[in-house]
Amino acid sequence: METIDGESFGEKYDLFVCLQCGKCTGSCPLSMRSQLSPRKHVREALLFDNEVVLDKEFLWDCTTCATCRLRCPRDLQPVEVIIGMRSILIEEAKVPATVQEALESTFKNGNPWGRAPSKRDEWAAELSLKSASEGAEYLYYVGCTPAYDPRVQNVAKSLVRVFKAAGVDFAILGNEEKCCGNEIRRMGEVGLFEMLMEDNVEIFENYGVERIVTSSPHCYNVFKNEYEGLKAEVFHYTQLLCEKLDNGLLKLTKELKKKVIYQDPCFLGKQNKIFEEPRKLISSIPGVELLEYDREKERSVCCEGGGGRMWAEATATGERTAETRVKEAVALGAEIIAVACPFCMLTFEDAVKMTGYEGKIEVKDISELLVEAIE
Amino acid sequence: MAEVFVLVEHRRGELRDITFEMLSGCRDLAKNLNASITAVLLGKNIDNFVEQLKSWADKILVVEDDKLENFNAEAYQRVLSHLIKERKPILTLIGHTSFGMDLAPALAAELGIPLATDCIGFELQDGRLVAIRQMYGGKVNARISFKTAPYMATIRSAAFKAEEPGLSAEVEKAPSPLTEEITTKRFLEYVEAAVGEVDITQAERIVAVGRGVGDYSDEKVRSIIEELANELGAVIACSRPIVDKGWLPKDRQVGTSGKTVKPKLYLALGISGAFQHVAGMSASETIVAVNKDPKAPIFTVADYGIVDDLFKVVPVLTEKVREAKGGS
Ligand SMILES: Cc1cc2nc3c(=O)[nH]c(=O)nc-3n(C[C@H](O)[C@H](O)[C@H](O)COP(=O)(O)OP(=O)(O)OC[C@H]3O[C@@H](n4cnc5c(N)ncnc54)[C@H](O)[C@@H]3O)c2cc1C
Ligand code: SF4
Ligand code: SF4
Repeated sequence: METIDGESFGEKYDLFVCLQCGKCTGSCPLSMRSQLSPRKHVREALLFDNEVVLDKEFLWDCTTCATCRLRCPRDLQPVEVIIGMRSILIEEAKVPATVQEALESTFKNGNPWGRAPSKRDEWAAELSLKSASEGAEYLYYVGCTPAYDPRVQNVAKSLVRVFKAAGVDFAILGNEEKCCGNEIRRMGEVGLFEMLMEDNVEIFENYGVERIVTSSPHCYNVFKNEYEGLKAEVFHYTQLLCEKLDNGLLKLTKELKKKVIYQDPCFLGKQNKIFEEPRKLISSIPGVELLEYDREKERSVCCEGGGGRMWAEATATGERTAETRVKEAVALGAEIIAVACPFCMLTFEDAVKMTGYEGKIEVKDISELLVEAIE
Repeated sequence: MAEVFVLVEHRRGELRDITFEMLSGCRDLAKNLNASITAVLLGKNIDNFVEQLKSWADKILVVEDDKLENFNAEAYQRVLSHLIKERKPILTLIGHTSFGMDLAPALAAELGIPLATDCIGFELQDGRLVAIRQMYGGKVNARISFKTAPYMATIRSAAFKAEEPGLSAEVEKAPSPLTEEITTKRFLEYVEAAVGEVDITQAERIVAVGRGVGDYSDEKVRSIIEELANELGAVIACSRPIVDKGWLPKDRQVGTSGKTVKPKLYLALGISGAFQHVAGMSASETIVAVNKDPKAPIFTVADYGIVDDLFKVVPVLTEKVREAKGGS
């Protein structure tokens, strides 16, 4: 079977050493609710030709959480095999309509949400923020979802307040900002991803950006691990703010008497091993009691928001993982689920509604909790 | 006297509405062109159609052939190009339907006749035909003038009202020019849309329900909503939670992970207006929202908003729509 760039899957992803142990499928949060089975797909990629990929709509169920990669005793990347298979589906135009719309919009508008590029900075209209041309220590890369989704805009606004309180010198790109491409690559659109990467690297270069701080773990991940030619240092906001906390520049003074549980975003935790900074920020808020899920950190359960799943329901049936997580949080007595990712915010808010726990438990981004503690 | 051809569209033993709409819609134009109206009827065993059409046209031109039993664009094209060459109608009208669009472009190209598609009206300007068609998703009416007669046009369904003029048509049977077998296109079968399958992206009016309707599996709730939708001639769509609960099928979901719709009217009942929902419907022409929470984000995209319990509002709306219809 051949990948999009002509190599065989076996060679490109070194699949010959797969043990068929099944740890990947065993740990996959979707395999119980879909025909998705990383172990099987790794085997199929070795054995068959392209035909086998076609009509596999369930390949869109994968959230690219990378739990399979984390568990594999052979250090293989089943998740990359699935992304490679999606590339073939894209070439064959066997793409869910919603995914196609998201990709087209990213090409045309620079965001997958079908919104106009000229409206990207509307959320910041009254904040009088520095623009990148003025130069600053950090470039705050907002991201598509915090820029456009009214609920998540509040995360961007909260972050701005906390940055200011902690004396962070930052600027934004405003309407020049474009999708980072993390989700685009994971939906299999390699060409579009490369285009975005080149454009973004050039923009960062033009403004002499040396440090980037992101709202989203997804943007953070792609800049940090996948961008070629990016010279800037990359931080997730929890890292930057934790540093400011340690230096005494971020002062959390107001009390918040709440039981808070933290959902590790896959792209921050499992994929980038950032576990402590978010927890430290939360537990430093006076009055907060930080609870832990039974399955936390590397064993945390994906919220199902990644890998293009924001634009593809695909085939998975049964209870969404975010709903399971909300129920667990309620059972543990949590009053707030703290998130550090725009997609977790959306999947969890929806899950709170679906489980009927509105009014009983709230979903807040860490930045929103910090705002309450500084003001 | 000049002639206007109107192609009769029928399927499975029934005349389609578009036929009558075209026949009555072109009467004024025919008069101004000083032309009579000929209904062109192709098919097999179609005597009952002749009867039904008699009061609608000046003449009915009938071609019967086994090969015309079911619609086949190739067979229709051969017959029509033969008839048009022979009789030189000044204007040929064909429905802007899947049948019509399978046929008209190729026929126009073969005959070298100018074709305007999806027309909603006509005018004569200095003796030349001007067709009116919509552009930019219906926001602009464009006037397309034809260079020279003869003309050909496809007509949007429901663009004209079907009003029986009470004529009595002369019936003429013409021999079928189909001597050879039709080989390129073959009729296989009619595929029925599965029962209950509705394409919400094509709907002109949508009544969309969200979690505010409570338990949508409840007969009473359903019938209150369905009654309003029926009065409005609207299809029912929904937000994702309604699909998640299994109350409506997945193909009714509006939003970023569902369908994108642009109806003339989008009536949102008990939908909060999450970004993922709004992105799928904000391009609708008119958005009306009913929500008991005045702060619901749906009101930022709505053209009209009603802040109240939807179960109070919907029956009143249904009644008002009924009244308005009765009064027209
Ligand atoms: C990955 C992902 C994809 C998604 N994709 C979609 C999508 O494609 N489409 C979609 O719709 N959602 C989608 N969602 C879900 C979306 O985020 C929201 O959760 C959902 O749209 C909310 O649905 P709702 O408005 O029906 O419910 P709610 O947000 O709970 O709103 C119910 C509303 O009804 C009102 N109400 C209650 N009772 C009454 C009454 N008696 N009379 C009048 N008003 C009343 C309330 O005030 C409230 O505003 C997606 C979520 C995720 C995470
Ligand atoms: S990336 Fe996550 S969802 Fe995808 S196959 Fe691996 S474990 Fe399953
Ligand atoms: S965990 Fe690794 S070795 Fe085991 S089946 Fe999956 S890919 Fe193969």
